[in-house]
Amino acid sequence: MGLNSLRQSAGCALAVLLYLFSVTTLAADEPKPLKLTTTADHSKFKELQREFQSGPEVTKACLTCHTEAAGQIHRTKHWKWEHLNPDSGQTLGKKHILNNFCISIASNYSACTSCHIGYGWKDANFDFSVKENIDCLVCHDTTGIYKKPPGLAGNPVIKDMELPPGSGKIVKGIDITKVAQKVGKSSRDTCGACHFFGGGGDAVKHGDLDSSMAAPDRELDVHMDATGLDFTCATCHKTSSHDVAGSRYNPTAMDKDGVHIRGKVDNSNPATCVSCHGNGPHKKEERLNQHATKVACQTCHIPAFARGGVATKMSWDWSTAGERDAEGKQVVRKDDKGRVIYESRKGTFTLGENVKPEYFWFNGDVNYTLVTDKIEKSEGVIRINWLGGSPTDGKSLIWPVKVFRGSQPFDPINKTLVKPHTAGNDDTGYWKNLVWDKAVETGMKDAGLPFSGKVDFVKTEMFWPITHMVAPKENALACVECHSKNGRLAGIQGVYIPGRDANKLIDTIGWGIALLALLGSLGHGLMLFVARRKHQGE
Amino acid sequence: MKSAKPIAAAVLLTLLGASFSASAYDADWKRGRIYYRSVCTSCHVAMPVGSINPSAKTMAEWSSYIQADKHAKGKDTVKQYVSKSYRASIKSANKAAEKFAEVPDQELLDDIKAFLIKGAKDGEAPASCS
Repeated sequence: MGLNSLRQSAGCALAVLLYLFSVTTLAADEPKPLKLTTTADHSKFKELQREFQSGPEVTKACLTCHTEAAGQIHRTKHWKWEHLNPDSGQTLGKKHILNNFCISIASNYSACTSCHIGYGWKDANFDFSVKENIDCLVCHDTTGIYKKPPGLAGNPVIKDMELPPGSGKIVKGIDITKVAQKVGKSSRDTCGACHFFGGGGDAVKHGDLDSSMAAPDRELDVHMDATGLDFTCATCHKTSSHDVAGSRYNPTAMDKDGVHIRGKVDNSNPATCVSCHGNGPHKKEERLNQHATKVACQTCHIPAFARGGVATKMSWDWSTAGERDAEGKQVVRKDDKGRVIYESRKGTFTLGENVKPEYFWFNGDVNYTLVTDKIEKSEGVIRINWLGGSPTDGKSLIWPVKVFRGSQPFDPINKTLVKPHTAGNDDTGYWKNLVWDKAVETGMKDAGLPFSGKVDFVKTEMFWPITHMVAPKENALACVECHSKNGRLAGIQGVYIPGRDANKLIDTIGWGIALLALLGSLGHGLMLFVARRKHQGE
Repeated sequence: MKSAKPIAAAVLLTLLGASFSASAYDADWKRGRIYYRSVCTSCHVAMPVGSINPSAKTMAEWSSYIQADKHAKGKDTVKQYVSKSYRASIKSANKAAEKFAEVPDQELLDDIKAFLIKGAKDGEAPASCS
């Protein structure tokens, strides 16, 4: 062996040693990254190690392992968009109700079902029994790139495409294979992809859920604080067999069941404050626990909604829609902050930030005015839904509520609300043609309901209890916010609120006792004074 | 001269080992988002520069920026503001720095990069600061 060979051998040995050293040293310096939030790296499963061309292909792969998941999903409100209220007997859910903002999904499926947990719900004939129509990714995406644009019936864009067709705008396709290989638990981002944007935009409907809640600070939400407790939605909306607990259609207004204890069978709603905090959460101030027998936690602990810098729509007036400019084009007007307050296709909006809620007695009963119910314009404002409750039923608490106010189309001959065809690049879509008769005719036909051919507008209100954006305790309402003449609870009846209320008898008795106490003190002092003078004189 | 080849190979393998170890980390864009907003943006809005949306740059521009490691036009480094020592210095007043105090520097930098690339102008989900 020559000197060169020796040198080469030594060099090679050094190379291997250095390589091993670099790997082992790095490994020793910093522990191997390990995901502690999951037990499975889905990219290692051979079922997912392929190129996917569509959502249903991914679902088929998911179901090879998660064999029972489809059956579970098919039972849920998130899948059916349908809910039978056991108390009122009303069939609710997005599939059936209407609201006074974006109104209804009937004939608008391709737009609205971008928020359905399925693929392909483009008309009333969608097959809810097909397993592969379930969209696993919309809830289990962890990449943050999974999107389902309106107009595609719940399908994502896999390849670059022009959307809306003819607009010249190109939507980039997403790497659905990457999304499939990185699935994980649901998150604020996945739930928020729909619930932050309900009504067609950020914060439109929910006042207490918007994009600011994706990574909120402590002031905005003490539970979801991204640098603190970092709750996901599912921390409270505890899910069982894919059924997400907590529903606005059937809420728990007063939770008498106390905290949920691990191992104990408990069928009560886990998404209440009480299920964690119990019925007496104020350890130092028993008086505050007494308040909790009449006042919902949310009333004091959510002093305002839309606090994250995103304005929520407070009213929507469809009756002003339809303007065109001198060239016949649709009009958009913005306020001084650049926020849209008028659109030809939608009408006039008012917006609000840091909005003080309105307050109502609420016992958990929610009833809806359905499209089949008769209404009278002469009766004034029609309630799209209304909250049951009274100060005396033993089931009600005073709750904070966002009240949606609007004016929407109705049929003055048949005396019903109507479901117009708004979204759609066709001859009857209102957003394209601004013609109400055609739009309502198409919508009502799709819903299988009669339409007289006449359209008028009626004022409406809708009531949603507020329960998110819980502030830190130091930012809870101060006493004077309610205990004052024109405080927040000025309109609440049936309960005596010191500082707000005046009862002549109670006031007379109180002032009388105070006067007697004063007279007693003065008399006692006078007697002491006289006795001392008398004593000094002796 | 011939003996230089194995040495060069050794150096290359060393770098490979290092890069292999680094690439094993699956960056967490959500953690990057929190740090970027709570540390980077919160400081920037207090400074004349103002906030910088991830969508203000392209993916290539963000990659170059992080690779160049020049903060404030080269007055200091980007890594400095992601380092454990920096986090330790502000953690009493910054909850994100406190929460991620023990995260290895490179992991946190990768997290931030993942958020910026994803939220870039031409990224998969262009993002603002809010």
